[in-house]
Amino acid sequence: MAAKWIETITGSLEQKKQYRQYKARIEALPEPYGTTAKAFERYFMYYGGITDGDTLVTMLGDFADLWERAAVDGTPVRELVGDEPVEFAESFTKAYGGKEWIDKERARLTKAVDAAARDTAAREDSAARDSAQEDRA
Amino acid sequence: MGKQMTEMLKGTLEGMVLAIVAAKPAYGYEITAQLRDQGFTDIVEGTVYALLVRIEQRGLVDVSKVPSEKGPPRKVYSINPRGGEYLAEFWANWSFLAERIEQLHHHIEITDEEGD
Repeated sequence: MAAKWIETITGSLEQKKQYRQYKARIEALPEPYGTTAKAFERYFMYYGGITDGDTLVTMLGDFADLWERAAVDGTPVRELVGDEPVEFAESFTKAYGGKEWIDKERARLTKAVDAAARDTAAREDSAARDSAQEDRA
Repeated sequence: MGKQMTEMLKGTLEGMVLAIVAAKPAYGYEITAQLRDQGFTDIVEGTVYALLVRIEQRGLVDVSKVPSEKGPPRKVYSINPRGGEYLAEFWANWSFLAERIEQLHHHIEITDEEGD
């Protein structure tokens, strides 16, 4: 999963460059911001599942902005991410609404339920017709 | 602020933030500070930041980068026409919700009193 995510990143040269810039920005953060940012980054890799590189580099760029700003302002880590870092991490990645590996399965599930609902409706229709015919007979 | 409040805020914070930037363009830190001043003391900058990213992606706000003395430029958010429409819808929904919940509240209180 993480390896695939990196492959996404290494897809285009421009994205590769942006990714390297992002990495350097995170490396340059003072503590405790650097460690915290890296902990989130790790979580993004496992959770995010965003598969288009453009969305990913945009997200990481914004993420670096957030930490650089916090480091300059001296905002305490807690004040930035709150009591539930998982929630913050997830709402942050979701905000980008990029393509995710799960999208394909989401579409499949929706289609399966659509088809099942259609079948039921069709069967009920034909059953209603049958009983109407019986009534007439 | 308890868990229940956090859950309730999930659906309404977006409208609140839009209302703040509709009054005056602001950056993340200012918006957070304003919410905290209004009594939402547990709201953190990260939550507001993630929310701003979301409404920016959905095209409800315009963003301009304003250079700052130190650190990266600040992103200043202002509402755009699409955000304005969204906010109007939010207020309509909010009024409906607030009114019905209040009605339910009174109804239950009256029933309780009659029961005594």
